[in-house]
Amino acid sequence: MASEQQYLDLFRTGRALIDEGSCAPLNACRQAAAEALAAHGLPTRHTERYRYVDVEAALAPDYGLNLRRALSPQAPSAAFRCSVPGLSTSLFVVMNDVVVPAAPGAAPLPGGALVCPLAEAAAAQPELLSGRYHAAAARTYDALTALNTMLVQDGILVYVPAGTVLERPVQLVSLAAAGADLMSNRRLLVVLGEGAQASLLLCDHAPGRSRSLTTQVTEIYLGRDARLDLCAVEETGERNARFHNLYVEQEAGSRLSAHAVGLSGGLTRTQADVRLLGPGAEVRADGAVVAAGRQRVDHNLLVDHAAPRCASDLLFKYVLDGAAVGAFAGKVLVRPGAQQTLSQQTNANLCASPEARAYAQPMLEIYADDVKCNHGSTVGKLDESALFYLRQRGIPEAEARLLLQHAFVNDVLSRIAPEALRDRLSFLVENRFRGVASRCQGCRLCS
Amino acid sequence: MLEIKNLHACVEGKEILKGVDLRIGDGEVHVLMGPNGCGKSTLSNVLVGNPKYEVTEGSVTFNGKDLLALSPEDRSHEGLFMSFQAPVEIPGVSMTNFMRAALNAKRKYHGQEPLAAGEFLKLLREKRKLVGLDAHFMSRGVNEGFSGGERKRNEIFQMAVLEPLFSILDETDSGLDVDALRTVAEGFNCLRTPRSSAMVITHYQRMLDYLRPDFVHVMVGGRIVREGDASLGYAIEERGFDWIKNEIKE
Repeated sequence: MASEQQYLDLFRTGRALIDEGSCAPLNACRQAAAEALAAHGLPTRHTERYRYVDVEAALAPDYGLNLRRALSPQAPSAAFRCSVPGLSTSLFVVMNDVVVPAAPGAAPLPGGALVCPLAEAAAAQPELLSGRYHAAAARTYDALTALNTMLVQDGILVYVPAGTVLERPVQLVSLAAAGADLMSNRRLLVVLGEGAQASLLLCDHAPGRSRSLTTQVTEIYLGRDARLDLCAVEETGERNARFHNLYVEQEAGSRLSAHAVGLSGGLTRTQADVRLLGPGAEVRADGAVVAAGRQRVDHNLLVDHAAPRCASDLLFKYVLDGAAVGAFAGKVLVRPGAQQTLSQQTNANLCASPEARAYAQPMLEIYADDVKCNHGSTVGKLDESALFYLRQRGIPEAEARLLLQHAFVNDVLSRIAPEALRDRLSFLVENRFRGVASRCQGCRLCS
Repeated sequence: MLEIKNLHACVEGKEILKGVDLRIGDGEVHVLMGPNGCGKSTLSNVLVGNPKYEVTEGSVTFNGKDLLALSPEDRSHEGLFMSFQAPVEIPGVSMTNFMRAALNAKRKYHGQEPLAAGEFLKLLREKRKLVGLDAHFMSRGVNEGFSGGERKRNEIFQMAVLEPLFSILDETDSGLDVDALRTVAEGFNCLRTPRSSAMVITHYQRMLDYLRPDFVHVMVGGRIVREGDASLGYAIEERGFDWIKNEIKE
C-alpha cells in the first residue's frame, strides 16, 4: 500500500475533527489538496525534485496526530529557552503543531505589525489571509504541500504593514516534543507590505526522544522594496524527519536574505521556490550544513527570474561526516524578457569520511540573452597539505580537522547578520564539529 | 640535538633518501645544498613527519628521543619547526586563531596554562615587528592572498612565536627580493639562541653571507656526499655541483 493512503484515510475519517480544530481559510483548501494527493501520489525516486529522498519510507510509520488539539503545551517558555546572547527578539513558540499563546500583557509589535496564530487572524482580520494563504503554494503541485494543506490545523501569520520597520527580530521557535511518535503539520505565512522591513529567526528543535515527522509550508510575500532577513536553524535529532516547503513571491526592488544552518537532524528536506516578479528584486540564500551519522540533508531550490534586473545569489556548503548524505539541487530559471539578470550559484561539499556522499546539481535554464549567470559545484575531501601545515605547527590532528571544517563553512556563516546571531551560530557550529550537542542555556527538556 | 643515521625514505613508492647520515649539535646552523631532486625537501618533510613520506630504514634521534615515533604535532611540541617551501593557503582560519591554537597546544603539551588574551596579542605584536608583517595580516586567513614574500615572512613570524629548538628552512629565501631576504635573514638571526639549531636549504650565496653557517653539506642522489664549512658553499656558488658529481663517480 502506498504510504499516502493512511493519510488520505485519516483525512476521510477525521475530516470533521480536523475542520473543527481549525479555521475557515484552512478548511477551504483541504478537499482540493486531498484530491490532488490522491491523483498524483507521493514522489518516487524518479520524481525530478525528489531524487535523493525516500519520501515513501519517511511517511510510512504510523505517527499519531494531534487532531483534537489535545496536546496543550505545558508552559514551554519555562521548559525551553532558545536564546542568542546579545540579541533581543520578539519570541513566539510552536509546540509540535500548536501555537503557544503569547504571554498575557506582552507588548504589541510596533507600527501595526502582527504575529499571531492563523486561526486568530482568520477570526479578526480574514482579509490578511485571503489571496495569500495557500496561494503561492498552490501554483504547482507538490505532494508534501498537498499533504500539509490537507491536514494542517493552524500556523503563524507574520504581517508587517507597508512602511513599518521591525527593529527587533521575530523569533519563532518550533519544538517537536510530544513524548510519543507524532506528526506535526505547520504553516507559516509571512507578508511584508511595501517598504516594510523585518528579520525572522526560525529555530527548530526536537528536545525529546520520540520520533517525529514534520511538514511545514511557508509562504512569503514581499511587497515593493520590502526587506526580509530570514535565518533558519535546525537542531533536531536522528529520529526526526522534516519536510519544509518554502514559497516566496517578491515584488519590484524587494530583497530577501535567507540563511539556513543545519546543525543536526535526521532527514531534512528543504524545498524553496522563489519567484522574482518585479524588476530589481533580489534574493540571496545560503546554507551551512553539518551532517554526520546517517543524516540526510536535501536542499532543492528554484529561483524564477520573471522580471528584468533581478539578482540571485545562492551559496550552499555541506560538511558531511560518517555515512551522511547531502544533496543540493539549485535551478535558476531566467524567463524571456528577464534581461540583465545577475545570478550566481555555488555548492561546495566536504566529505570528511569515505562513506559520506554528496550529490550536487546546479542548473541554469536561460531564455534571455543579456544576462550574467554562473554556477559551480565541488565535492572534495579535507586538504591534506593544509592539515599537515596545521599539525606541523603543533595543532593536534582532531583540532586541525575541526579548524578546517569550520573554515570551510565560515564564509557562509559570515553572511549572517546581525553579529550577535552570527557569533552564536558560529559557536554552535564549532560545538557541533567538536561533537558537543549544544545545550540551550537553561533548557530542561534537553537534559 | 639531532642525529640522523642511515635514513632511507620513499615517496609514492619511489626511494628518494638512500642512507642519510647527519649530526647537528646545539646552537649550530647547517646549510644543505644540492641539485634539484637530490632529496633535500624529502629529508625536511621526513623530519617533520609529513605522512606522504615513508621511512623504510634508519633512525632519527632528537634530544634523546626517537623522533620517528612521534606524531607531527608532538615533533612540533618537542621543538621542531619547518618553514615550508610553498606555504599553503587556509582560507577561513584567521592567523590569530591559528597562532593561538598552535601556541596553546604547545603550552598544554608542556603542562602550561593557555596564554591570557592580552599577553597573547602582545606577543603577536612583538613578533610581527621582528619580521615586518603588518597588523592586518593577523585577521586574514592563513596565507590567504599573501604574496610570495609575505608568505615567507609569515613563516619566520610563526617561527618567532613558537620559538623552536630546531628549525628547518626549506628554501625560505626563494622568491624574495633583496630587502625581503634581508628582513627574513635578520629575523632568523635574531631568533637564534645558544641552544637553538637550524638546517637551512638554499641555493644562494647571499643566504650564506647572512647566516654564516657552521657547516655546509652537499646532498646528491639521496645521500650527503660532502661536508665542509661555509667555504664549501661558496665553492658551489662558483663552480656548480658537477665537479662534486664527477668526483663521486670517480
